[in-house]
Amino acid sequence: MPKTRGDITKKLQTLRDKTLRGEEKAIAKQHAEGKLTARERIDKLLDPGAFVEEFMLAETPASDFGMAERKRPTDGVITGYGKIDGRTVYVFAQDFTVIAGTVGAAHAEKIAYCIETARKVGVPVIGLYDSAGARIQEGLDVTRAIGKIFYQNSITSGTVPQISAIMGPCIGVAAYSPALTDFIIMVKGTSQMFITGPSVIKEVTGEEVSMEELGGTKIHSEVSGVADVVGSNDEDCLLQIRKLLSYLPASGLQTPPRTSSVDDPDRMIADMEDLVPGDAKKPYDVRNVIRRLVDSEDFFELKPKWARNLVTGFARLNGRSVGFIANQPMFLAGSLDVDCSDKAARFIRFCDAFNIPIITLVDVPGYLPGTKQERLGIIRHGAKMLYAYAEASVPKITVYLRKGYGGAKQAMCTREMGADQLFVWPGVELAVMGAAGAVGVLYKKEIEQAANPQQTRLEKLDEFTEKFSGPFEAVAKQYAHSAIMPAETRVRLIQALEMLESKQEDRPRKKHGLMPV
Amino acid sequence: MTSVTSPMVGKILNIHVKVGDKVQEDEIVMVMEAMKMEIPIVAPAAGTIKEIKVAVGDTVESEAVVALMD
Repeated sequence: MPKTRGDITKKLQTLRDKTLRGEEKAIAKQHAEGKLTARERIDKLLDPGAFVEEFMLAETPASDFGMAERKRPTDGVITGYGKIDGRTVYVFAQDFTVIAGTVGAAHAEKIAYCIETARKVGVPVIGLYDSAGARIQEGLDVTRAIGKIFYQNSITSGTVPQISAIMGPCIGVAAYSPALTDFIIMVKGTSQMFITGPSVIKEVTGEEVSMEELGGTKIHSEVSGVADVVGSNDEDCLLQIRKLLSYLPASGLQTPPRTSSVDDPDRMIADMEDLVPGDAKKPYDVRNVIRRLVDSEDFFELKPKWARNLVTGFARLNGRSVGFIANQPMFLAGSLDVDCSDKAARFIRFCDAFNIPIITLVDVPGYLPGTKQERLGIIRHGAKMLYAYAEASVPKITVYLRKGYGGAKQAMCTREMGADQLFVWPGVELAVMGAAGAVGVLYKKEIEQAANPQQTRLEKLDEFTEKFSGPFEAVAKQYAHSAIMPAETRVRLIQALEMLESKQEDRPRKKHGLMPV
Repeated sequence: MTSVTSPMVGKILNIHVKVGDKVQEDEIVMVMEAMKMEIPIVAPAAGTIKEIKVAVGDTVESEAVVALMD
């Protein structure tokens, strides 16, 4: 019997309603695990009622191995566009309640389309991952489709921000899609990422390990450095995405949105000096310095528990989005090592790609010495920081809080490495090496042959310290633009940022450079 | 048993706890000197100090166990 248009409309409506409603049992299971469903996540992520779904009724063409009975509309991933704080974004959310969120060809096509379209339109793309893995029933079709996602992630890199939230399992080769994006946010307790799972590991190496021990938030936020931010639960994770996006422009062709600051740009910080002890032996938490400097003491830290000897994160100065990089004397004396070089270089390159000025706070004793660092390739990794700073053409401002020894100074963006403005605080110590070491080298013979070696050593030490302590050599030799008072640091940063707003700096034409990796 | 470990190579300057003391996560249990700085050694988790394995003046390696707690 031929169907009327009314029949067809009714059938479509029913199918849509059913898809939106989902399967009760699967949803209850998702909730029991402490997780929101993909649709609930999208609703909470986006502005109310802003989501427009695309390809809702896409299905897998596969019918082998039981897929004919298991196939469902969406193919296990919900995709489309919407708004966050009134700004357009593309979003995809894998739906564990539909075919366990497994990645089939149709599923992967939808994700690749989202990324490609976000790039064309020039808006951020956000992926919410929660999947049992590749759908093996679909064979090579899946392999090909996943390749399309990786390709889109890769060529989109640097054009629009790509943010990944891991809100369930993200395992096997699928874990490389978030790894190709700019930021990874995980959810404590319910998210895992790994390339080979516990059963394969047991088979090959005999090692027994749980999913959480293998690739939970603790590993990726403290050991591997894979995760940038950890949310305490789904709601918190989604809030963190919204917050992160607030610092970013829609694309690399735009500048970040400027907010109207409620914090006085002329605010002097009388107690700034007290946050950094004058005694260079005493550690302090440089994050307190950053918080006091920025608007409303609001600092969004990235990778807070990994490579803790260097701090990275976003904040605002007089409403302008800025990226902070700072040595952290609380950990490893704030020295530079392999991991913190990676952390810094990646952050610098993100800021540069998305037109976010970089502020570098320096208090660095040097590179972390030892055979371990040399064997891990500190030469190769340390070079990344130099490369990334030199490559970055965004405004770069460097402030010396206390000391800068040795070659580590260059890795923290000197004028020679491209700092547009360089300030030093009055008590700064700048030398090729620390006073005790330097005197030992420079006056070895003299001290050994002196009537009173200890006395001579102390005299030479005083002489050396006198010459290299304080800002005078730095300002006389134009190493620094100015010596500034700690209290006026916020004011000076804001003035410099405003002056640098129209900065233009070209780089030699080339296909691409070869960043050390 | 949880191990309290040294973050880097250096010399123990002072010890802030004794066996039986209860400590919070990230509480400073010792201070060491390395790279001309005083570096705090903190408890990795909340618990009770069971054994102290170093004395003031000792030189310790990176990741050396300086105390045990549970």
